[in-house]
Amino acid sequence: MDFDLSEDQKILQTSVREFLDKECPKDKVRELEEDEQGYDTEMWKKMAELEWMGVVFPEEYGGTEGDFIDLMILAEEMGRYILPSPFFSTVVLSSLPILKYGNGEQKEKFLPKIANGKEIWTLALMESSATYEASDVKLRATPEGEAYLLEGAKLFVPYAHVADHLLVVARTSEEEKPEDGITVFIVDLASSTGIEVEVIPTAAHDKQCEVRFDRVKVPRGNVLGDVGRGWDVVNFIIQKGVVLKCAEMLGGAQAVLEMTNDYAKERVQFERPIGSFQAIQHKLADMFTDVEGLRYLVYEAAWKINIGSPSDLLISMAKAKANEVYQRTCIGGIRIHGAIGFTREEDIGLYYLRTKAAEFALGDTGFHKERIATELERS
Amino acid sequence: MDFKFGEKEEALRKEIREFAREELPPGWLAVMLEEESRDEDWAFAMSISKKLSERGWLTMSWPEEYGGRGSSLWEQLVYLEESGYWGIPGTMMGISGVAWVGPSLMMYGSEEQKEKHLPLIASGEPDGVWCTGYSEPNAGSDFANIQTRAVKEGDEYVINGQKTWTSAAHRSRWCWLAVVTDPNAPKKHQRISVFIVDMKSKGVTVNPLVNYAGYHIFNEVFFDDVRVPASNLVGEENRGWYQLMTSLAYERGSLGPAGYGYNKRILDELVRYAKENNLFQKHDIRCKLADMAIEVETQRMLASQTIWKMSKGDMPTYEPSRDKVFNDQVQERLAITGTEILGAYSQMDPLHRDSRWSKIRGCVESLYWLFPGISISAGTDEIEKNIIGQFGLELPRSY
Ligand SMILES: Cc1cc2nc3c(=O)[nH]c(=O)nc-3n(C[C@H](O)[C@H](O)[C@H](O)COP(=O)(O)OP(=O)(O)OC[C@H]3O[C@@H](n4cnc5c(N)ncnc54)[C@H](O)[C@@H]3O)c2cc1C
Ligand SMILES: Cc1cc2nc3c(=O)[nH]c(=O)nc-3n(C[C@H](O)[C@H](O)[C@H](O)COP(=O)(O)OP(=O)(O)OC[C@H]3O[C@@H](n4cnc5c(N)ncnc54)[C@H](O)[C@@H]3O)c2cc1C
Repeated sequence: MDFDLSEDQKILQTSVREFLDKECPKDKVRELEEDEQGYDTEMWKKMAELEWMGVVFPEEYGGTEGDFIDLMILAEEMGRYILPSPFFSTVVLSSLPILKYGNGEQKEKFLPKIANGKEIWTLALMESSATYEASDVKLRATPEGEAYLLEGAKLFVPYAHVADHLLVVARTSEEEKPEDGITVFIVDLASSTGIEVEVIPTAAHDKQCEVRFDRVKVPRGNVLGDVGRGWDVVNFIIQKGVVLKCAEMLGGAQAVLEMTNDYAKERVQFERPIGSFQAIQHKLADMFTDVEGLRYLVYEAAWKINIGSPSDLLISMAKAKANEVYQRTCIGGIRIHGAIGFTREEDIGLYYLRTKAAEFALGDTGFHKERIATELERS
Repeated sequence: MDFKFGEKEEALRKEIREFAREELPPGWLAVMLEEESRDEDWAFAMSISKKLSERGWLTMSWPEEYGGRGSSLWEQLVYLEESGYWGIPGTMMGISGVAWVGPSLMMYGSEEQKEKHLPLIASGEPDGVWCTGYSEPNAGSDFANIQTRAVKEGDEYVINGQKTWTSAAHRSRWCWLAVVTDPNAPKKHQRISVFIVDMKSKGVTVNPLVNYAGYHIFNEVFFDDVRVPASNLVGEENRGWYQLMTSLAYERGSLGPAGYGYNKRILDELVRYAKENNLFQKHDIRCKLADMAIEVETQRMLASQTIWKMSKGDMPTYEPSRDKVFNDQVQERLAITGTEILGAYSQMDPLHRDSRWSKIRGCVESLYWLFPGISISAGTDEIEKNIIGQFGLELPRSY
């Protein structure tokens, strides 16, 4: 067993950290919350130059042939700096399924543009029921000639307002099992008519959108994977995406723990640092153990994916734990900060305001506990 | 990053499972702290100690010259996990020859002490069974506050005082005893020494203390003018505290894997029980089982991380304390949630585990009755959290 990153991975981690330290201070985060686009196009270009978007792509698509652990390192650091960017929606939610399910033509056409930062992508999955159950995929795709017509609405679609392409999860037929009859479409926003995008006013101003489809025409060639087998694609996205979302949350929780611990050493009340009071020490000790436990659970789940034997059990364990730990760490952290933790100037609130987006992305705690129970029952 | 075991470890795991199948009665489920209570349980535990010794497992990480087989920390982790899981009794040689008397002697003991005691512990014989005399009525968490005195007279020391909560003292041949040798030292940590005391010595009295569930686990031990040879002093006089702090870290390092193994078994038994009784249909029970599974797997990773750190040659600092607290939390959850799953059947007397009303051989409610005590032993959670704060988070000391 080896709990350490390899030398190359450590170099990657350091370089990502140095970049974000410089490019993404918290004032930048605050500024981007108010920005209409919600990300910094110059920074995005630099990220592409650093070859982050194509980190796991083969060379022929402009990638650097890294592995899943490299991607996890990126996600963890982005979570640590709460980088506002369409990286997750483009690379994790969209490019990974294209890489896995796309045909040769689709990969050649789309992946190089993702790798060089020219295009922004996102995934339109959730609907008004706001869950990840197959039965809740209701947006209709009806065949018409050489195309399908999309009709319906999607919710909480990250960065749809600036996206070039969407992956849309739609129902192409009604079957006995809700998992059947689902199809994933690649939709080109610029060339489509009938799409309306509206940014939802979320607490983190993190640019999640409602996307409405009014008889939007999508050519048959834009089906990703097989018609009717779209739920496989969704499951694949959930599997990989969950672990990377967990890595982001881990990075966030680690940052909150560190800033709180630092604060507890500096803040003096009753003539001594508040970190010398046991009430504070024990809370911090609990937060510390929480974050370390989460770390190794996430690493284990990621490692399993990396060696080609993903474990749904471990993946769901990691997400259920991440949901609870990220929230608990933020709340404990704010309390230890006292009133200053309640202000816009202090960084900790920025993390807290992101807990719910992360918790409900790719399955809430109940969803994942249900999956764990199913695995236990089967064991 | 790599989270799989090597072939050697996997082979050992298989061997231990076969051993457990062959040597333990069918359907065997252990309860923590149970083996030293009743005579027949103790006799069975000692018979297994002997067999573990014959396999070279009892003290596997010790060098061969002292009766070990020089196993790696990873092999030891597997052994601890599996013995916890299958409830293999007799792995400790009391409290505890294997876990810290042996390793401490290797670090600080004289040649004579090593040659005499290490092979005795490794043999799995009753003469290798130890108890640990640290706590006293006025020295629990504040262990350095002990009063028991040892005074040098010629080539002997004369010991007077009282120890309490001494587990397995009624089963032990030897006591690993902390005493005061320099009452005038400027700091109370600088006055402590460790002695090897033969429990058969004149002046040693052992009085049982029975816990609320009816087990005889710990005792009071009185020392009245007990004479021990000066050669039984371990390491340097008045350096006892520092020696013990180092060896305590090792003790706690073995706690994680064994605790994980034990907890995983309870979880697996509860899952099986839930399946057999159609409890998986209930949403709240599904959630409870999922919750426990997450925590048990987290415990496995934390415990392994500590061993990984040690395997690189780094001294664990706060990690064993973290793992101790975590084990207590997991056991609390398993006990509370487990008894909720068993319902009214969980109110059984742990001394009647064979009763026909007991489910899962009473191991779930036994954990429930015992976990508060287990969590106090070997350092309370509050004390362990102080250590995490001091060494893991570098917070200023509170006292
Ligand atoms: C919404 C809001 C409205 C407020 N309105 C007013 C107002 O109208 N007028 C006004 O005067 N003030 C007001 N306050 C200030 C409030 O009274 C203080 O925030 C509060 O007393 C805590 O002080 P602090 O923020 O400086 O935190 P600190 O005292 O620095 O505490 C930081 C952390 O250390 C802990 N801590 C401190 N000392 C100890 C100790 N001895 N033992 C254990 N833990 C300790 C605290 O519990 C906390 O977790 C307001 C605060 C808020 C959040
Ligand atoms: C089952 C069992 C087996 C045992 N076996 C042995 C044995 O074999 N040999 C042996 O020597 N001892 C043994 N002990 C004793 C054990 O080590 C002590 O019980 C333990 O160290 C706590 O001491 P105490 O019971 O005196 O509690 P106290 O130290 O009086 O503590 C009471 C409470 O105060 C809290 N507290 C104390 N100090 C602090 C502090 N600084 N900060 C915050 N909270 C604090 C504690 O956490 C606890 O909650 C055993 C105990 C048990 C329960």
